[in-house]
Amino acid sequence: MPTLVSVFDLPSHAAGAVRKLKDRGFDDLKTYSPAPFTDLELAEDPRPSKVRRFTLVGGLTGVVLGFAMQIWMSLEWPIKIAGKNFASIPPFWIVGFELTILLGGFFTFFGLLIVGGLYPRRLDEHYSSRFSAEEFGVVVTVEDRDVTEVEGLLRGESAKEVTLAR
Amino acid sequence: MAPPATAVADRLASPDRPRDSRANIDIMAPTKGVQWPYFLALGAAVLGVLQAFIVLLYQTYVGLGVAGYQQPVFWGVYIVTFVFWIGIGHAGTLISAILFLFRAKWRNAVNRGAEALTVFAVITAALFPILHLGRIWKLYFLIPYPNQRELWVNFKSPLLWDVFAISTYASISIVFFYIGLIPDIAIARDRATGVKKVLYTILALGWQGTGPQWKAHSRSVLHLSGLATPLVLSVHSVVSWDFAMSIVPGWHATIFAPYFVAGAVFGGFAMVVNILIPVRRIFRLERYLTDYHFENMSRFILFTSTICGYAYAAEYFIAWYSGVEFEQSSFWLRAFGPYWISTWCMITFNVIFPQLLWIKKLRTNLPFLMGLCFFINLGMWFERYVIIITSLSREYISGSWGLYVISPVELSVLAGSFCWFSMWFLLFLKVFPVIAITEVKELEIHARDHGGAH
Repeated sequence: MPTLVSVFDLPSHAAGAVRKLKDRGFDDLKTYSPAPFTDLELAEDPRPSKVRRFTLVGGLTGVVLGFAMQIWMSLEWPIKIAGKNFASIPPFWIVGFELTILLGGFFTFFGLLIVGGLYPRRLDEHYSSRFSAEEFGVVVTVEDRDVTEVEGLLRGESAKEVTLAR
Repeated sequence: MAPPATAVADRLASPDRPRDSRANIDIMAPTKGVQWPYFLALGAAVLGVLQAFIVLLYQTYVGLGVAGYQQPVFWGVYIVTFVFWIGIGHAGTLISAILFLFRAKWRNAVNRGAEALTVFAVITAALFPILHLGRIWKLYFLIPYPNQRELWVNFKSPLLWDVFAISTYASISIVFFYIGLIPDIAIARDRATGVKKVLYTILALGWQGTGPQWKAHSRSVLHLSGLATPLVLSVHSVVSWDFAMSIVPGWHATIFAPYFVAGAVFGGFAMVVNILIPVRRIFRLERYLTDYHFENMSRFILFTSTICGYAYAAEYFIAWYSGVEFEQSSFWLRAFGPYWISTWCMITFNVIFPQLLWIKKLRTNLPFLMGLCFFINLGMWFERYVIIITSLSREYISGSWGLYVISPVELSVLAGSFCWFSMWFLLFLKVFPVIAITEVKELEIHARDHGGAH
């Protein structure tokens, strides 16, 4: 199917183009941006990132693991200190807290790798080093009959270059 | 005919199209070329590390006695320096995480350097508890590991809390640092050749700046900032409890946690300034690291210096007000005992000198800031020296009082730690951009898109 590669100078123009393309039903598209711009990200997909679920699961796992580990180990090897219970909860908050942060952080990182599809691999055919300079790319795959309409739509949204790549 | 399977956009010839963005060219410049002063500095740092390594081999063979460990002071320069380096790391996390949550955009130009400083400072700090063990091959005793005797570590000990706090801090700092680096590594990958290209390609993890990637990245940075903010406050609090949980006069104080955290941020900012001023000058990064950034950091230094001043005063007041003879004696000895020079250096460098920053002209006078921050770092090292050494050398029983003198072995390792830190930072400068390129671009493009306002 034909693929149109368009290049924009500003994120608001690229976001405008993405919104119009989606309104017209052209959903098979991808954007490339040299920096984070919320407007453009939301235009492509308004749903929040799933990374937050990873952080939550990691944090909860950390706090449960932290307390469980300390309580179990303290009972397994009981040391009486200052008349406190073997499994004395107040001092366990510290290691429990640290493990919450540690696993929350690690899970967030793995969430980024999974959700963002980050692993060493070949780059997209239409990716360009221009998109890691200061230009924005919107790549849309359309039916043959829609090429002219989509090109007009992209140019109407201030695309400075539109190229057809099959 | 369909174009080949290479980047189509690269084939779009436009005569007025810039070859690359200015931010990419300027900020990646330090990673290119060979500058002999750089290699001279790196060589000196490596030599410094080597001499400390040889000295440590000697210490491991002979025993900790050569490091001046004798009754009554068994926590000497190693623990002083450990606390010093842990503190240095705090400014990086404060800039990356806390200022991010406050949406302080000026952090964008300084956060990468500060984060790198955090990572290398924590790596340096983490060496000291190990060196301090003496029998370093017993290191694994600190970790709860399954063993045949079913013997576990003591979770009620602040020293064990410290093991968890420091290892968590080091891990999260490295993750945070790396996540921030990924988009910039991709920029480097797109422009590199040879071995560097292979390295950057692996580390960039296929980053292309797509919508889902940026969304996941922004969300990860936000969550890590949320996690790192209480973490950074907790780390130095836990370090302070190594002291405050004991009953040693001068240590057993509830003010220790906030006092240590403020001091850490104070010293950390001073180190950031001490490093970024020469980096800006040598690599000509004046366009990105402006006087505005240094003025903001100066304000932080002034603010945290004032908190430190308050904490010093509060310590003396409480010692007097408590009516406890041992506390009073301990603080009297700090100011007028055998270590009086350290105490007065601490007060002069950390509280009196920084008050000059009330003068606006001095806040942007870089040679002045460079000198001031050097003295602040010295003062912060002395602060830890005063806390640890004066209290340990004169505890409750006068019969066990003693005088602590720094040994040549300790001095050698102390110098080695600065070289170790410098070595990593210098290597970082040659491989990764010292300023977060994408974050600078975010501000520049946003300003362009919205007519100069952001």
